[in-house]
Amino acid sequence: MSKSRSVDGKWPWVFVLPTFLGVLAFYLWPLLKTMYDSFTETGPFGGATWVGAANYSQLIGDSEVYRAIVNTVVYTAIVLLGIPIAVLFASLLNRPGLKGAMVYRTLFFLPYVAMPTAISLVWRIIYNGEYGVLNQALGVIGIDGPSWITEEWFALVAVALLGLWMSIGFNMIVLSAGLKGIPSELYEAASLDGAGSAQQFRSITVPLLTPSIFFLSVITTIAGFQLFDQLFALLGPTNPVMPKTQSLVFLFYDAAFVGNERGYAAAVAVLILAVVGLLTLFQFRFQRRWVTYD
Amino acid sequence: MRISSVVAGVVLAALALTGCGGNSGSAGDAGVPDDPAKVKGDLTYAIWDVNQQPAMQEIVKAFNQKYPDVKVSISLATFDQYFTKLKTQGSSDNLPDVFWMNGPNFQLFAANKQLGTLEGLTEAKQVDPANYPKALNELYTLDGKQYGVPKDFDTIALWYNKKLFADAKVEPPTAEWTWADYKAAAVKLKAALGPKGIWATGDSLGNQANLYPAMLSNGGYVIKDGKSGYGDPKSVEALQFWSDLVKGGFTPNAAQNAETRSQERFFDGKAAMMWNGNWVVSAALKSPHKNDLTVVPLPKAPNGGRKTVIHGIANVMSAKSKNPEAAAAFLAFLGGKDAALIQAKAGAANPAFTGTQTDFVNSAPQYNLKTYIEAAEQYAEPYPVSKDTGVWNKLEIDELVPALGGPKPMSEVAPQIATKMDEALGKEKK
Amino acid sequence: MTKRADQQRLGSNRLAHVILVIGSLAMMFPFLWQLKLAFSSNAEIQAVPPDLLPKGLEWTNFTEVFERLPFLDQFWVSVAVTLGRTVGQLVLCSMAGYAFARMSFRFKGLMLALILSILMVPSQVYLIPQYQIIQQLGWLNTIQGIIAPGVFSAFGTFLMMQFFKTIPAELEEAARLDGCNPWQTFWKVVLPVAKPGLISLAIITVLASWADLLWPLVVTSSPNEMPLAVGLATLSGYQGSISPGVMMAAALMAMAPILILFVVLQRRVVEGIAFSGLK
Repeated sequence: MSKSRSVDGKWPWVFVLPTFLGVLAFYLWPLLKTMYDSFTETGPFGGATWVGAANYSQLIGDSEVYRAIVNTVVYTAIVLLGIPIAVLFASLLNRPGLKGAMVYRTLFFLPYVAMPTAISLVWRIIYNGEYGVLNQALGVIGIDGPSWITEEWFALVAVALLGLWMSIGFNMIVLSAGLKGIPSELYEAASLDGAGSAQQFRSITVPLLTPSIFFLSVITTIAGFQLFDQLFALLGPTNPVMPKTQSLVFLFYDAAFVGNERGYAAAVAVLILAVVGLLTLFQFRFQRRWVTYD
Repeated sequence: MRISSVVAGVVLAALALTGCGGNSGSAGDAGVPDDPAKVKGDLTYAIWDVNQQPAMQEIVKAFNQKYPDVKVSISLATFDQYFTKLKTQGSSDNLPDVFWMNGPNFQLFAANKQLGTLEGLTEAKQVDPANYPKALNELYTLDGKQYGVPKDFDTIALWYNKKLFADAKVEPPTAEWTWADYKAAAVKLKAALGPKGIWATGDSLGNQANLYPAMLSNGGYVIKDGKSGYGDPKSVEALQFWSDLVKGGFTPNAAQNAETRSQERFFDGKAAMMWNGNWVVSAALKSPHKNDLTVVPLPKAPNGGRKTVIHGIANVMSAKSKNPEAAAAFLAFLGGKDAALIQAKAGAANPAFTGTQTDFVNSAPQYNLKTYIEAAEQYAEPYPVSKDTGVWNKLEIDELVPALGGPKPMSEVAPQIATKMDEALGKEKK
Repeated sequence: MTKRADQQRLGSNRLAHVILVIGSLAMMFPFLWQLKLAFSSNAEIQAVPPDLLPKGLEWTNFTEVFERLPFLDQFWVSVAVTLGRTVGQLVLCSMAGYAFARMSFRFKGLMLALILSILMVPSQVYLIPQYQIIQQLGWLNTIQGIIAPGVFSAFGTFLMMQFFKTIPAELEEAARLDGCNPWQTFWKVVLPVAKPGLISLAIITVLASWADLLWPLVVTSSPNEMPLAVGLATLSGYQGSISPGVMMAAALMAMAPILILFVVLQRRVVEGIAFSGLK
């Protein structure tokens, strides 16, 4: 077909402009505005003054920022454990001739589609220090469990376990797509050579899944740096443990919409942009090697 | 097409944003014309307590009998978001015409010229400060000008569960109790009720209900002449009193409080006593143990002192209301006796208007609510505030309360808070 | 596949089932526990040790949800927001995606690059100015305020563009020769063929809108004008306590529509997410 025709006339604008103008007003302009705002200080009732890099030097000196980064790293490390777990389940699920695979898939995927704020309330009660079922189970084996969602570090682990639980379904979907790409001849050849299931898993499944695993690691890390929903809903915004458990995004939200320090919040947003930008760059740099479009 | 008008609106708004600001004339200190029929306009009235919404609606209805041409719509937000929302509304000159204000936020709004003064109303005798407790008038006065019409007030007293005391065979509290008695009772209560999962005290370790009354009773202070009182030895002693109660396992610590508010433990019959304000009355009346509860004055400090803070919500009006006359008329009505009586009968809040509290006291005769009124008259001190109270309130919540019952003595923790608080107070003066 | 290999693999499927059953129980437990708690009295919930099965069906938690919380208001806000965003995205993204896939016009490359550039930016970066725009429009605490930025989607545009590229162009050529203008071609010929792509986009948008927290949290503050996700997350802001059983009942009803949708459309949801996850 001839792409260079100009018969389209005005039509392309009818199709493109609504989205383009919307993106311009609601995304591109805000992006620039946030960059600009990060160099200003806002009063409690508006009125911005240019302060140069003052917000950034405050950012560098703010122990809460470092703590938020540490929290994010710990959170992400725990959620990353969901990948090996999902590899195990996905490869079992994709065994040929397995009955009820669809039922399993539904069950494993349920946490991913559940509303995070709703399911967080359930976990809040499971984690309850006094009557929560988790501590009661620990009590059976003689462990006196902590007050999970109000004690330092435990609260972070509690949030991360919730994140892990929610991530497994999504991980499995991505991994299943990867598994389907592995030619079954490989397994046949291996069984003819006398390799058992465990050995096949080690020498065929895992190596050929590394692209998907790597992809998931990057996605999980990026999502980890954007932690907000589970943190907010599980712990509650006024939880006294929050200053020691918060993520960068919570710090941003708190500065922007509770403390009303818009300029400083904008600087935090730019920091998040930088971190996520680096991770995305990293992903794109390597993506050609391991993502297959089909 | 709807979408394209949305887009156009968005683009316009985006353009408008680049040049915002612009001051409209001050409409603040307006009086009310003598003829109510001449007052017209639409008003927004912002509040944060859903429990009080019905009473507020009734007040609006009564107001409309006198001013039929003013339409008041009530806007409700949860407390957590209320002041954040007000600040952003203030930054675009969109504050509600009349709204609830509290002590910690008042000076920030007044100093930034967001509020209308009461001068016009007081000169015209439409609001008379003499009708309200002096401490509340002071709370809402900045640089000699009063901005808020006190709506209600609360003080602190000691609640206890008669049945739990009887079960534990402990003598119930009296008006003559001291801190030592409180602690001794806690020891006995814990021994008798602890195994059943019941706490001796359900104190929430809040600044208003627990920390301030103790510090003031003991002869300490929270803030004086722009300096923090957390380093004062008398204040430290008072904080140590709470810290010891937490350490001994008589009172839940900050983490335990965060999971289940101690007030809820008390009303669930899971704690035997607590210091708390009259704002819990409606919760008490909903409790399954409501008939076992009652109130006595706070215990006295070792030096025999007994103090409570008095705080209350005030109604204020925006400095930039588009209908200043109607706003002033509504504000004056909210400050009047009729509005106070409506509130009192609803039992939702203890009205600030002198002489109207009887209805509130009678709304729950079994609780001896007179204690709260007497506290206000006899031994109440103004709620401590500064220009930006929120900053050091955050220090109290984030650093002081979690340290209660911790390994460090208060003589170490509290002076550190004082240093940080002084730093914050120093910044306010700039 | 040879018979021997087949048999070997089938043989060990029993072990696979054991592991998968344990795994799915771990996945399911919070849902089952929630179901149990929603039907339990407060005393049962706080009992130590807990009973694994409820003593009876306690419906009061559900009735109390409607008495204590503006649940119905919030439910309708959620429905309206989800519908508004989804329909908006389907229309706008498919239009823009189609133009980028099939038409030629000035600045096409630049516009596409600008739109796609926002894919890499975390949403927080836009949040404050977006909020200020909504505020200027007077749309705080309104459904259109919650919907507005979310109807424009770089991701949706990209997804639809990719999809249209896979559709053979002959159909459109034929329509054009029949005298259809581009709008008619798009509406009558292209969209019907694009159904699978539209369904994927719809599913992803519905899931995301129903769950979305941060944006609606920022632009709403009145309990009866916020969607369910915000209402549940800010329960602690209510004066007077909400008991755990009531919370569970509210959470259950809030996520029920999505869970039902998922179970009914399961295969499509999984495909849709796989398709978009591997963008």
